[in-house]
Amino acid sequence: MKKRLVAALLCLALVLPITLAGAATGVELRFIDVSPSPVRQEYFEKTFAKFQQETGIAVAYESVPWDDAANKLTILGASNQLPDVITTWAGWLGQFTAANWVIPLKDYIAGTEAEYTDTVTKLVWKGENELYGDTYTVPDGMMVKGVFVRKDWAAEEGLELDPAKGWTYTEYFDTVRKLTNPEKNRYGTSFRGARGAFDPLFVYLQTFTGGRAYADDGSALFNSPEATEAYKIWNGLYLDGNAPKDSINWGFIEMVDNFTGGLTGTLINDSEVTATCIANMEDDEWMVMPMPASDVDGQIYNTINSPYAYSISANSQNPDAAWELIQFLTRPDNNIEYCKLTGLIPIKKDVGDDPFYGPDGYYATFMQQLNDPKLVVPCAFGPFSYTDMHQGMMHEEMQKYLLGQQDAEASLGYVAGELENRMKQYLADNPGSAVEQPKSLSD
Amino acid sequence: MGWQIALYILLIVALFVLGIRLLRRYEKKHNKRFQVSRKLEPYLFIMPVLILLLLAFGYPLINSVVMSLQNYKLTQPGNSYFNNFGNFKTLFADRDIGLIIRNSLIYVVASVGMQFLLGMTLALALRRKFKGRGVYQAIVFLPWAFSAFVVGLMFRWSFNGEYGVVNDLLMKLGIITEKIAWLGTPGLSLLVVILAMIWMGVPFFAIMYLAALQSIPEDVYEAADIDGCGAVRRYFAITLPYIKPTVIMTLLLRTIWVFNSFDLIVVITGGGPANHSQTLPSYMYTRAFSGYDFGLASALGVILMVALGLYAVFFLKVTKYNKAGDF
Repeated sequence: MKKRLVAALLCLALVLPITLAGAATGVELRFIDVSPSPVRQEYFEKTFAKFQQETGIAVAYESVPWDDAANKLTILGASNQLPDVITTWAGWLGQFTAANWVIPLKDYIAGTEAEYTDTVTKLVWKGENELYGDTYTVPDGMMVKGVFVRKDWAAEEGLELDPAKGWTYTEYFDTVRKLTNPEKNRYGTSFRGARGAFDPLFVYLQTFTGGRAYADDGSALFNSPEATEAYKIWNGLYLDGNAPKDSINWGFIEMVDNFTGGLTGTLINDSEVTATCIANMEDDEWMVMPMPASDVDGQIYNTINSPYAYSISANSQNPDAAWELIQFLTRPDNNIEYCKLTGLIPIKKDVGDDPFYGPDGYYATFMQQLNDPKLVVPCAFGPFSYTDMHQGMMHEEMQKYLLGQQDAEASLGYVAGELENRMKQYLADNPGSAVEQPKSLSD
Repeated sequence: MGWQIALYILLIVALFVLGIRLLRRYEKKHNKRFQVSRKLEPYLFIMPVLILLLLAFGYPLINSVVMSLQNYKLTQPGNSYFNNFGNFKTLFADRDIGLIIRNSLIYVVASVGMQFLLGMTLALALRRKFKGRGVYQAIVFLPWAFSAFVVGLMFRWSFNGEYGVVNDLLMKLGIITEKIAWLGTPGLSLLVVILAMIWMGVPFFAIMYLAALQSIPEDVYEAADIDGCGAVRRYFAITLPYIKPTVIMTLLLRTIWVFNSFDLIVVITGGGPANHSQTLPSYMYTRAFSGYDFGLASALGVILMVALGLYAVFFLKVTKYNKAGDF
């Protein structure tokens, strides 16, 4: 009997510390990554282990492939099962805030704003406040668009491209045409004809409207006669054979693969593609030019956002612990490690002088754009939910124009009409609200 | 949603309990054990499966009919309401619906038709023994074992306009001089999906028909030979009538399967360009999981269900299935 008692006590002594350690805080968070890769998963799991050591809070890592992410988060949101911390793309925020799936973060952020770069405070958060009335995300890193160019092809064609000097849209289109060489099976651009096709086009159209998408009453501005002509020029790159015919069905993956694979000479995309170019191309094969300046006013209209910003879900039982996790992930040392791995630009001022992001680094052109006084962030599609249009109608209408099934006026007019209806409905449903204005760092 | 499921289960359990009670009352009243009549027996045997089916399919079916009458968007939780057949009106007002219906019909008729012809040919060829038949049979039946996703990727790459093996072969053979954008050209994009579907589905027909052919007694053919019956006559007078039940059932099933399948379309073309390879089920998938408009997608689902139900009844009636195979 005595032996049994001693054995039981010994077992208890062994088990108790383990149990107590696990229940040190009693909190376990769920985190979902919407753009998983082995590199990202390794980073997050390592960082979560560090976080648990420091705080005692355990974090379970979950992920969903990017292509299914919007679906999965929507289903989780509708069934109140969203993880505590979710990685969120800016385009989903209209839907998420309207459905109350994420909580405002302004109170949590209060007092720490000065730690963040101007791009976060003056562009991302300012935009969220204008569109949704509060701050809902903390960026994971900053992403800005640029034009990836085949440096070797440009040299062969005698083109002198200087990132510091920049270029205009007219010069960019000329470059695309010159890089097209059917005999060598080369096309000037990685044209995007499928999902997401309207995004870079929308920015180009806004170079004719001063970065605005709507007038104050919600009427669409981006289908003006000048913008419609611009619509023809943009799509003319495809129609004139400067892009492969199959690119009418290209999305992100095909665009990037065909640029790094050697079929196309330019690619308009986010800074995150830099990591792919570094991995798959020689340094003397590629370079990054800034986004072209407007032919109208010389400003550089460029979207700046964070790809997978952190949000706290409304059904989180531990929002304070979730915030603690976000603070930990965005702590300068963790954030810079994350940004280097994923091709982003850090969000805290503390890390702004890292040589990796200096004038000789891969990100020099992107950093140059972020500090350019001519940089203007044009307006988004709107504060309403437009996911259905983004996944279908926007590129389908464009495809119909590319196939000659309708003219440019009808094609652009149909999309503009639908967006205008939604914008006006939003203004009517939200008295006191106003249309978004373009932003710049000098505002 | 939870309470609806609970109510549904409760209803089925209540019906079951009521049935038992009525049975017991009958027994008490007549002072004898209930004897199951011969007529009732089959229904009692299928009862367990029927209850499972009602649970697994009945509830989602009823719910999708209800959803088809509602404004039901995942992005607007708590804002579902009956919208006066609004989903059906939206559906029929869609600018592309005519094109999508036409694509669906072409897709089904061409795929099933060619699968049937090739499957039958293959089965007839494999009926007689020859050297290496086993190996040949294994190879031609292989596509049936592949997942639609893998087949989709194979065809997507094979018909890639720039790097695809198809263009390369056609150019080397001198059939074409310029690369064809198979996946980016209206008509051709649907053709690629149809070819993939045919390639994948031929073994199903071949396997089914080969099994049916092997059950035809050899003496019937011998008698036909003695009577001087030719090959064509033999086929239409003996082979086809004997395997008619299999032919009808495979055609019916395969038509419904092909009509409902959208995986190949999603993987190969995504319905593009501009909906030129979109069919009704793939369009339903797009509306449900891209636009999150489950009301509209359910309306489309209900239409598909009714259409396929009518087709099945019509097909069985026309082909006189219940009389098929009687000799």
